[in-house]
Amino acid sequence: MSGMGVIEGGWEFVWAAYGISAAVLLGYAASLVARLRSERARVRREASRGLEVSR
Amino acid sequence: MNRPSEIPSGATRPAAFAFGALGLVLLCVGSYWGLVVAPAETYMGDVQRIMYVHVPTAWNAMLALTFAFGCALAFLFQGGWKWDCRLEAAMEVGVVLSMLLCAQGALWAKPTWGVWWDWDPRLTTTAVLVFAFGGILALRTFVDDPVRRGTWSAVAAIVAYIDVPIVYFSVKWWNSLHQQPSTPATVSSAFHLPLRINAFGILFLMIAFITLRSSLAALRLRGELAPPLPEPAVTTALAGTRG
Amino acid sequence: MREFLAALRKEALLQWRTRAQLAAIFMFGASALLLFSFAIGPDSAALRQHSAGFLWLGLLLASTLTLAESFQNEMDERALEALLLLPVRPTALFYAKAVSNWAELTLLGVGLVPIMVVLYDAGTDRVGGLVGVILLGSAGLSAPGTLYAAMTSQARARQTLLPLLLFPLVVPVLLASVRASSLLITGDPMGQVRSWVVLLACFNAIHWSVCGLLFGRVVED
Repeated sequence: MSGMGVIEGGWEFVWAAYGISAAVLLGYAASLVARLRSERARVRREASRGLEVSR
Repeated sequence: MNRPSEIPSGATRPAAFAFGALGLVLLCVGSYWGLVVAPAETYMGDVQRIMYVHVPTAWNAMLALTFAFGCALAFLFQGGWKWDCRLEAAMEVGVVLSMLLCAQGALWAKPTWGVWWDWDPRLTTTAVLVFAFGGILALRTFVDDPVRRGTWSAVAAIVAYIDVPIVYFSVKWWNSLHQQPSTPATVSSAFHLPLRINAFGILFLMIAFITLRSSLAALRLRGELAPPLPEPAVTTALAGTRG
Repeated sequence: MREFLAALRKEALLQWRTRAQLAAIFMFGASALLLFSFAIGPDSAALRQHSAGFLWLGLLLASTLTLAESFQNEMDERALEALLLLPVRPTALFYAKAVSNWAELTLLGVGLVPIMVVLYDAGTDRVGGLVGVILLGSAGLSAPGTLYAAMTSQARARQTLLPLLLFPLVVPVLLASVRASSLLITGDPMGQVRSWVVLLACFNAIHWSVCGLLFGRVVED
């Protein structure tokens, strides 16, 4: 590690790393929320269908 | 096996969102600290700031997969559908974090070593883990019977996790022949604070992710084990006209 | 122990009756070695240097065929369910199947060595050592491979699932076998073959025990 000298700059890699991390974490959170919503909607649809039949 | 009513209802949204919000705040604070406040490192300069997000991701990815291992053991030897739901959630979150880890590692390696991939043992083991646990997630989509799916993915997760130290040591010896120095795991004490803040930030986010993903798995499992009633048209056709 | 020997006899009989398949899989492995040399080009030095890698890649690819085939017989005619109804412990079935696969893979590996020697000019006078490495490496492929073959033979998309699950797991076997074979072929001034052999032995010890223990859960109903 020592003897490599000082690495100048490289900020674009730093921003890219933080940017990708933010994008992945937020993107995964969004996909989770979306999938949960659609699954709950499916469950509600089927529950109401069940109520119709038993009426 | 357990009755469908024993599957967790997934009513954990408030706690999960609280964890998620807290984690996001901590991550913003820690990242700001690491990017702006902390001084540049002596040899690696500003590129070293990637460590403030790379090392916490590494800790949490391994934590997620270790939790998955625990869930697999619990499902096989104790039983209970909740462990299968948590296993699926922990594996998915672990794979996502591991893929992120590989991307961060490549972005660190390029300015430092001049190549996108330097066969660092830790990172190479992570890549193998992505394929191993990703494969188990793929296995789950191809098995329809929930009991089999749960048992097989638990067995596969146990075998894959036990393999991790062997993979790590074999890659380490394999790579040592080429005298490559490795990615730093330790950071000097002056930089510990942003690291710890980000570590807890990602930890809380991960807890939120696993909780939400686990309740998603539980909802789907309920639909499989207690299938919904047929369409009204079918029922009326069988029973005669309504009313 | 008696159950294991009886199951082993059954496997040996099965292997003998389906020996034409082994010949076909051997041809597949040999053609893979040929294709690798086309991919690298007619550079004898480069081919010789990487010959061990090609041998083990070819054997790994061929193993997906042999492992999948090993459970095909049980899936046809639903023989697996009949076997499990017998008062035989599943672990005995696993070890018999795994040993049979091990023997088949070793035969394949040893059979591919002359192909490797001819195509890549990769001769060695440490033939005994090379056979030993093939024995250990094949064992490392066979134990987890048999476990996963049992799973995937009962699932959909089995052709894709078996390599997908197996390949990440056997990375240590590939690394160690290739390094050890390569050192035996190109020379080993620092005596490193031993440490790779120890790694293979550890891998085998762990996986032959763990996979055997877990096999019962995989085939139970």
